[in-house]
Parts: sequence; C-alpha cells; structure tokens
Amino acid sequence: MNEQKQVGAGDRLEKAVEELEAAEGRLVEARKEEAAAEHDIAEAVKVIKEEEKRQEAEVHVIHVNEVEKATFREKLTATLQQVWNKSYDELKIQRRPKDVFQTADEHPKSLMNDLQLTLAEARERHVIKDFCFGIASETGGAGGW
Amino acid sequence: MKPTERPTLDLAAGLKALEEDLPRVVNVLGVTSLSDLGWSRPKPLVLLVPMKATWQGQEDAYLLRLSFEAYRRWPPSARFVNPATQDYVHPDDQHHVPKLTSPECQTHIAYQMNAQAPKMQLICCSATFEFWDVLHDVEEHHMWRGTETFLTTINAIQKAFGSHYQGRF
Repeated sequence: MNEQKQVGAGDRLEKAVEELEAAEGRLVEARKEEAAAEHDIAEAVKVIKEEEKRQEAEVHVIHVNEVEKATFREKLTATLQQVWNKSYDELKIQRRPKDVFQTADEHPKSLMNDLQLTLAEARERHVIKDFCFGIASETGGAGGW
Repeated sequence: MKPTERPTLDLAAGLKALEEDLPRVVNVLGVTSLSDLGWSRPKPLVLLVPMKATWQGQEDAYLLRLSFEAYRRWPPSARFVNPATQDYVHPDDQHHVPKLTSPECQTHIAYQMNAQAPKMQLICCSATFEFWDVLHDVEEHHMWRGTETFLTTINAIQKAFGSHYQGRF
C-alpha cells in the first residue's frame, strides 16, 4: 500500500519536472521571440525616423538688418512663406512691412515671387540651391532718378 | 520725401560702432575672421570687400570700399575703387565700377549734386552714406535705422549684382 503511494507520488513529481522543463523551454523560445520583436520594432522606428529626416531639411536663416541667425528643422512640404514666417519666431525678431525673404547666396535673390513653393519644389526648380535664407529690409531710392 | 538733414561725421562713434559690429557680422556669416571672407581693413575706419559678378559669360572682379566716418547713425560711405590705388578718380577708374541698375541700388560714375559740386561716384542706395549726403528723395520705409549695420549695405549691393548687373562702365 505504502509502496503504491510512493510510486504515485514519484510519477507526479516526474511529470511535474517534465512540465517544468517544457515550460522553461517555451519561456526560452518566447524570450527569443520577444527579443526578435524588440529588434524589429527598433529597426522599424529607425526607418521611420530616417524617412522623417529625409522629408525634413535643416534651415539656416540670417536676418541681415539685425545681424542675427537661426537654425531649425522644417518639413520639405512647408512652403517658403511658412519657412519665412517661422524664421521670425526662431529669430525672435518682429517682421517689418518692407522685409524681403531671399536666398543667402553670394548674390542674394528675392524669393518674394516664389513664396507658394514648398522647399522641395523650390529646390527641384532650382529656385534655391540649399536651405540657407536671408531676411533683409528693402533698400531704395535709386528708382527716383 | 526729401531728407531735411545731411549726415554729420563722428569718427569716434564710427570707430566704436565698427568695432562692435565687425565680430557680429563675422559671426553671423559663419566665419571666424575678416580674412575668411576675403575682406580686409587697411585703416581703422575702412573696410575693403571684394565682389565679383558674371556678365555675358565673363567674370568681373570689383573692390568695394566702405568707410565709417558717420556710422552707425548713418550708413557707411560706399564706392568701388581701383584695387591698385584703393581710390576712385573719374574718369580714369570708371571701369572699376559695375553697372548696377536695380531699383534698390544703382551706380553712377560721375554724379553731380548741383552744377557747382564736384563729380563723384554714387552708389544710389539708401544703405550708403552718399545717398543721404546728396539729399536723395526717399520713402519713409527706406529710412536708415541707427541699429542697422554695414551688412545691410553689402547685402543690397550683392543683391543688385545678382539681378541687375550689366557689366563694367
């Protein structure tokens, strides 16, 4: 009778150990899958960030009259008008009525007729060479001669 | 409107303002020294700024001389000079002056304020001393603000080079 009880207890113990080992095996697999999923997530986030970065530009703007400059990131879908508007916020300078938004080349070019273009369009159409801009108040008088 | 006041000279103030503004301009242009820009300062109140532009496929070089005797209450004096002499004598040096025809900036090689006045080079732009010295008509919004710097002057001239340059005189 006692022997039968001991045999029964031994079987249960053996079964429990087997189940424990099986569970541990499944846990190892689950951890592998978790690690793989985390890796996939990190890769996906990296791709998304790179894509976002590709769709953005680092904009540099100089305010000629106030001798100030600012750098900020902007979506390539932003229009030159939006970039111009944001420039004042970044520069913390108030817009003046006769301000002109222009390129920052050796020979600055007015962008006032192209303000509806996005950064991407302006670059594609060679209106701008880069994302460096200037703000300068109009000068004048020469037309009066 | 006609300006009622001609600029007055104040060399000490000009030198002080130039000393203040030079580092600001150098910094905002992203360099560390004047020589990085190709500019030079042969005298305390003089700045030489090389400029170039292309006309009919040919690149032309010029030298802009800025001086600061009435600065910053008034813009710097500006004229194109012979690089060899760093001066301008009409008519010998007129080919050292670019033809700029922008509404914002126009060059004259021998301007006379009146029949008795000597002929002078005039960079006709509200960001030059000479513009105010000849009492040129001016719009209210083109008034020179005493907080502006010589970068405004250089920018106006470089912009005219880009859009309204027609070769040498």
